[in-house]
Amino acid sequence: MTNTQTTERQAVLQVKNLHYAYDEKKTALNGINVDIYSGERIAIVGSNGAGKSTFFLNINGVLTPEEGEILFEGVPVTKKTLKQLRKNIGIVFQDADNQIVASTVKAEVSFGPMNLKLPKETVKQRVETAMEYMNISEYGDRPPHYLSGGEKKRVAIADIIAMEPRAIIFDEPTAALDPVNAAMLEDVLTRLSAEGKTLLVSTHDVDFTYRWAERVLVFCGGEIIADGTPLEIFRNQDVVKRANLQRPMMLDVYEELVSAGLLPDDHSYPRVPSELAEIAAANRAGNE
Amino acid sequence: MSGIQHSGHEHTHSHDHNHHHSQDHTHHHHRIGHSHDTGNSSIDYYAVYSGIRHWDPRFKVGFSVLLLLFTLIGNHPVVSVIAAVTAAILTVGFGKLHPHQYISVLTIPLAFIIVGSLAVGIEFAREPLGDWNLFLHFGYMFVTKESLMKMLALMIKVFGAVSAMFIMTLSTPSFELFSVIKRMHCPTMLVELMHMIYRFIFILMNVQRNMRISAESRMGFCDFKTSLYTFGQIASNLFIVSLKKANAFYDAMEARCYDGEFLFLEEETKVSRKLVIAAAVYFTLLLAVTILVRVKF
Repeated sequence: MTNTQTTERQAVLQVKNLHYAYDEKKTALNGINVDIYSGERIAIVGSNGAGKSTFFLNINGVLTPEEGEILFEGVPVTKKTLKQLRKNIGIVFQDADNQIVASTVKAEVSFGPMNLKLPKETVKQRVETAMEYMNISEYGDRPPHYLSGGEKKRVAIADIIAMEPRAIIFDEPTAALDPVNAAMLEDVLTRLSAEGKTLLVSTHDVDFTYRWAERVLVFCGGEIIADGTPLEIFRNQDVVKRANLQRPMMLDVYEELVSAGLLPDDHSYPRVPSELAEIAAANRAGNE
Repeated sequence: MSGIQHSGHEHTHSHDHNHHHSQDHTHHHHRIGHSHDTGNSSIDYYAVYSGIRHWDPRFKVGFSVLLLLFTLIGNHPVVSVIAAVTAAILTVGFGKLHPHQYISVLTIPLAFIIVGSLAVGIEFAREPLGDWNLFLHFGYMFVTKESLMKMLALMIKVFGAVSAMFIMTLSTPSFELFSVIKRMHCPTMLVELMHMIYRFIFILMNVQRNMRISAESRMGFCDFKTSLYTFGQIASNLFIVSLKKANAFYDAMEARCYDGEFLFLEEETKVSRKLVIAAAVYFTLLLAVTILVRVKF
């Protein structure tokens, strides 16, 4: 599923010592250092106001860092190359209503590619592909304001897919979605990842983080306090406590079963119930 | 706003129209249930779902404007009535707008027309003049047959003109209108402003609506004094919240490489030849009628 490359993984984005403040009293980002590699599935967790959204706006080039450097594919971002950054790092905003500009779905999805000054034929093709991808082709001529929440979210995602960025950021995508739409979203994330897109998803859903992500960045007070696999992050009591996180249900269940002696302590750490069932079945077969 | 109020009106006045009523009701629910910020723009909503939405916007704008010119220059009640009937046929017949909705949309300008025309029909004097008069403390209010006819003619003319414009309004969503204006080589700056204003109207209305509803749920409008206070609070908050919203909106546009010009993919539409021929025949006939009534009467 991951985009394994024969050579060493290429860093899409390198962030070095990033500082940002909205005003003098309130620093939002305080020395962020992180490298993001091609094809990674990254979950970004941390409480409200920890700096996640500010970080996203910085690495997309909407906000200009006060201090520090951002390198896109090894090239430092300057005013001249800013557009390159915006083009290649797409953001699906939390509130689709704030993102939607146009008055028909088709026009809305075309907004990004049109701004890239692509030829009309290419734009048309990209719009169609993106709408098909998100299963909204039938809404083409409808005005997005009159769609339901889940449909609007799909439009917002198609907006970004049509720009064909290297990396896509999802800012709390499951907020305000019902379970069906949340499942749809997870499916889209899995599909995009399988196609090699680099994904950054900010979320408060630890269970989702645990089963989906391959890397977790923990934001706390404008800093990244931990960076590692979900397992490393959630087994670290200190980090969990500092960032006000909760432990994923699957992790708790597994560890309880192991400590009760019902499962062997072989560090298999299932991420979804079906994996747990397999482990349990294998264990029973071994015992008999 | 008007959409909600009108539906409410029908609610109280149309108990005998059960069928219509229930239809309005579901429609209403659809609108509220599916959107957060658009319970307010019923005219735009009707335009989007109009049966003649697919007609080329340039054709619709051209047709409306030409019909408007006919009513203004023709300046004869017969022409105005024809214009009003044409508008009704196009909007309700072809556009499939529910007659109730069409009438409720028309009542808004109708109120203005009536109030405005009264000033033309009614005159004041110190002596009892005219065909009918009414003694008021300071003098006489009177009407003459002539002034009444003038008032009636004016009302019909304005009504015809408004109807003509409604062909366009109720079948062409704002953004299509903007693109027509843009194609007419209106300065980009103005078109951008129209786009922005249009979008921000939605943002403002949405913010206001949410605050009003939440205030209402907390008894914010229980009596006159409280209502005034709540209104003031909402007004001042509206500004701040809208500014924040507008900022978020602008950030999202910038994130998608917006650099000062709204660019959308526009379908290359061709004006249907059938429609043009039909319109040509229609206007030729209308011209003949106009000349006829102007000469004969």
